[in-house]
Amino acid sequence: MSIKTEVVNDSTFTIQIGERFDFSLVTDFRNTYEDLDPKVKQIDIDLSATQYMDSSALGMLLNMQKVLADRQLTYRILNTRPQIARILQISRFNKKFDIQ
Amino acid sequence: MVKILIVDDEEINRIMLREMLSEAGYSDFIEAGNGLEAVELACRHKPDIVLLDVIMPGMSGTEAAPHIKASSPDCYLPILFITSLDDEQSLVRCLASGGDDFISKPFEKIILHAKLKAHERTRQLSLEIQDKNRSLTYFQLEVERNHRIVEHIFDNAIGQNSIAVDYFDFYTQPEAQFNGDLFLCEQSPSGGVYVFIGDFTGHGLASAIGAIPVAQLFTAMTLKGLAVGEMASRINRLLVNLLPADMFCVASILEINANGKNFTVWSGGLPRLAVKTPEQQIRLLIDPQHMPLGILEEHEFDNQTQYFETEWGDTLLLYTDGLMESHHKELGMLGEEGVEKWFTMNQQVSAQLLVDKAELYRAGEAADDDITIALFQCRPFQFKPPELLAKPVPFNLSFHLTAEHIKDVYVIDQVVAIVNSIPGLAAIRSELFTVITELTNNAIEHGILGLSSDLKAEPEGFIEYYERRREGIENLQQGDIWITVQRLMPDNVLEICMQDSGPGFDVSVLQSSEDQTFGRGFVLIRELCESLQISDSGKQIKIIMSLMPTVDDTDIPE
Repeated sequence: MSIKTEVVNDSTFTIQIGERFDFSLVTDFRNTYEDLDPKVKQIDIDLSATQYMDSSALGMLLNMQKVLADRQLTYRILNTRPQIARILQISRFNKKFDIQ
Repeated sequence: MVKILIVDDEEINRIMLREMLSEAGYSDFIEAGNGLEAVELACRHKPDIVLLDVIMPGMSGTEAAPHIKASSPDCYLPILFITSLDDEQSLVRCLASGGDDFISKPFEKIILHAKLKAHERTRQLSLEIQDKNRSLTYFQLEVERNHRIVEHIFDNAIGQNSIAVDYFDFYTQPEAQFNGDLFLCEQSPSGGVYVFIGDFTGHGLASAIGAIPVAQLFTAMTLKGLAVGEMASRINRLLVNLLPADMFCVASILEINANGKNFTVWSGGLPRLAVKTPEQQIRLLIDPQHMPLGILEEHEFDNQTQYFETEWGDTLLLYTDGLMESHHKELGMLGEEGVEKWFTMNQQVSAQLLVDKAELYRAGEAADDDITIALFQCRPFQFKPPELLAKPVPFNLSFHLTAEHIKDVYVIDQVVAIVNSIPGLAAIRSELFTVITELTNNAIEHGILGLSSDLKAEPEGFIEYYERRREGIENLQQGDIWITVQRLMPDNVLEICMQDSGPGFDVSVLQSSEDQTFGRGFVLIRELCESLQISDSGKQIKIIMSLMPTVDDTDIPE
């Protein structure tokens, strides 16, 4: 598994990332939100399985927000491991994402 | 062939009996003229039926009967008294001495044949039982011997280590009573703990055998610091190949972070995990998400894990279904709710207390299934860093990657895997991955391919950037990257130096602002490393990393 998606209650779109979140996922990640259902109000990125992350992953997350900027969406990052949480914290991602 | 011992002091009687029996098809006879001779012959020839005269000179029939019976201790040997006596007392004495029936003189052929047939049947049954007893005894000895062997292997393979004893309050059934339950704890390379709690289908030896390879594989994987989901996949693969189709293992695999409050779990079929607060409130219930191990083929298997957090002072409860299946005549099965009610009764709830309560609940009935319980009070693990055990040896590892290697999409994975395989580096595996990936990508993208990060500022440019990266690598003719990784003593730090053959680039592009989709790599490297040095127009970058785990919220709680 590298990326899995799921729509919960019509309005929440969950993207689950595999063990590695790195530049090899650039296209796959982009494709997940290409035809996003208009009913979706929230995007959850589930990183429970993710152990490794690089800066292109950070870029992909920000890029998603830019692409979807004209939609009123909230973004959450869920289930981060301590090492991953640290990378998000170093990059001040809490300013743009609700990190849980 | 039925062998008949005929005992009579009068030869004429013996001849008459032999004649009559021959007519009925019997042909194997032994004859004795008195009691003593009869006992001797019975011991020597092992007859199937004895016809015994009552009154004889020397040893009488009633005196000989007990000795004749004793010659066949394990199998029914019918003794038929030959008698003309008809007073009750004499008949009773004959039966009391060990006789089974009477043949009256004068002999009646039809009755004689019928009685012999009847006793012959009983004798045959008895012989069959004796035969079965013999194989049963053999079988039992064989099982005992096997048990002793497996017990020995078990003791050596699945001994509890000090982690279980120091950090868990647990109950497992005594090792001598084989069971299919398994509880294992091992330290993780990053200072946390891995836990395996499982229950093989069935009971006894057969179910216990599956536990041995699982324990060995689990221990080997903990040394490598594998992710919980990966462990689940590998154990599943092992069991699918090993176990018969009707046998599987219900199990949970957990990784507890060094801080003692971050958990990753893969759970297949065990009762749900419960976490309670110091105030005895249920904080979390984690339902199992998967089928047990050893059922699904590799392509069907789902190794997705769940992640949860607790607070220090919380208590985690893990148990196999033997506890919750405790049964009461009127109240029925205890169930998960019942277990959780006991669990949150008070602060003093222990594994032993739950076992005792379950025994009371069953009101004397034996448990239907094996019971394993483990409680963990959330607190940081205080392991001595392995570096202290052995003096670290300095090393110098170098890579030279040419265009051919740079084209390989797995090149970074390979470099990371090689570096991570060095003992002592597993503790910082996540950080190493990020740093090496950032440095290598920087060397490829900015150094060799000369891509500009400006592209990434726009959403479509972001994708275009990676598209150009792909094209650039596809058409790459020449390019070299040199990486050296050294452990420097006495500081015990890791120095990574990355050089590339590109023309160099404007180092100022590495400056970042928070809104930009690029330039974050160097921010990460700066934070994860103790120092970062860029020289030769960006063609050479040198970093120093600490070799101690950097997730440092492992302070002792108040």
